[in-house]
Amino acid sequence: MPEILVQYQAEIWTAIIETFVMVGVSIVAAVLIGLPVGTLLFLCRKGKILENPFVFSVLNLLVNTIRSFPFLLLVVFLIPFTRLIIGTAIGTAVATVPLSIIAIAHYSRLVEQSLLDVPKGVMEAAISMGASVKDIIFKFLFVEARSGLVLGLTTSIISFISYSTIMGVVGGGGIGDFAIRYGYQQFKTDLMIYMIVIMVILVQLIQFTGTTVSRIIDKR
Amino acid sequence: MIHLHKVSKSFSHFQVIKSASLTIDKGEIYGIIGASGAGKSTLLRLMNLLETPDEGQVEVNGQDLTKLNSKKLRQARQSIGMIFQHFNLVANKTVYDNVAIPLELAKVPRQERRNRVVECLQFVGLESLLDKFPAELSGGQKQRVAIARALANHPQVLLCDEPTSSLDPNTTAEILGVLENVNKSLGVTIVIVSHEMEVIKSICNRVTVMANGEIYDTVSIEPEGIKQLSKRPNWFIEQLIKDGEKSHA
Ligand SMILES: Nc1ncnc2c1ncn2[C@@H]1O[C@H](COP(=O)(O)OP(=O)(O)OP(=O)(O)O)[C@@H](O)[C@H]1O
Ligand SMILES: [Mg+2]
Repeated sequence: MPEILVQYQAEIWTAIIETFVMVGVSIVAAVLIGLPVGTLLFLCRKGKILENPFVFSVLNLLVNTIRSFPFLLLVVFLIPFTRLIIGTAIGTAVATVPLSIIAIAHYSRLVEQSLLDVPKGVMEAAISMGASVKDIIFKFLFVEARSGLVLGLTTSIISFISYSTIMGVVGGGGIGDFAIRYGYQQFKTDLMIYMIVIMVILVQLIQFTGTTVSRIIDKR
Repeated sequence: MIHLHKVSKSFSHFQVIKSASLTIDKGEIYGIIGASGAGKSTLLRLMNLLETPDEGQVEVNGQDLTKLNSKKLRQARQSIGMIFQHFNLVANKTVYDNVAIPLELAKVPRQERRNRVVECLQFVGLESLLDKFPAELSGGQKQRVAIARALANHPQVLLCDEPTSSLDPNTTAEILGVLENVNKSLGVTIVIVSHEMEVIKSICNRVTVMANGEIYDTVSIEPEGIKQLSKRPNWFIEQLIKDGEKSHA
């Protein structure tokens, strides 16, 4: 173990945990809210079972708007809102608010796209069998789209890691923030490179897991 | 069993079905034939309200489907089976799970479900393939699974949209045999849409000819029976040189 890593061991572990908390909360938000929002986006489209131009346009505009913000600006822009729900404007918990919002917007769009890949005929078969909206979602759509949903989540998680690196601006910490404060600002280039290596390994692991899982569950 | 009364259907100002009426009796094998774009599929899809008519009534099993609320309509659809040209199986579910779906939808208890799935698969001769996924099956086998799935809830009616149009002649004959058996031994009323004259003539007892969204005529016919083809390689040779001189290349 290089000496510098031993020296900063405690800080590095803290940074890793902060990154895991930020990314973890983002994943939970993406699955609990992004998945339903993406499903609703899909179902409200023209010709789909819940066709609703109003709901579709509102959600579509919202998702587009959030995604078109440069992320740093979104974080700053959301500070008053974050203060309102977390009670402070600094810290890892604070960082999870803008991260969750971008996570929901990001994943919901990928969910919508995966669901669009489900063959129209399967939906028709579902309707002809007398399936309810809930049955169509859980017994047909999510089953047929599952490998796309997993791959989309993998892509999203990797973006969340990337987004989490700038959370230093609101004191969110994390590996990216550590690399900048210690590695860059204190000219410890080797430390910065170690942090980058950790991020690369993390991303590789996530991508490998996601690709493998999606392949195993794809029987098409 | 099925009664369409002056139904009309338009897609973006283009009238695809123009005030069509027809009656299909219980136990019939009823054919619908016509040129591409004549509105055959649309007419069939009106029979389970996969397309909602702009005007007119759709009566199936004594119920006017156009008057039902969505819950009642879903229940009514559970006794109207449907199969498609491209099978439309759930690719990520096994053969067993595909056939089990309609039973789950109808809230049939698990134990009964198992028996019924096996029974339906036996009926179409696929009980040995219940753990396979659709991607591992031939076209004919997929259509058999689709038929088993459509039969699971003991439907009164089976709607078939080009059920054999993506199958080769041998497999077509097999599937027609299964459909005939569904009609004869289970008493299910069958409606078949096809552009293949052979298919319609082989098993239908009444046929409607459609043209430009209208019912051109309906005729009663004596089904000719399914032409049994052979899988022997020499059979293909015999067919090829039937009308000409034999001249090996
Ligand atoms: N969902 C739809 N939206 C717009 N137009 C449609 C739709 N479904 C069918 N049509 C049009 O309605 C007409 C009749 O279509 P339909 O599928 O009923 O014909 P068909 O007789 O089954 O033809 P084919 O033999 O090619 O299957 C066609 O001109 C088709 O383009
Ligand atoms: Mg058609």
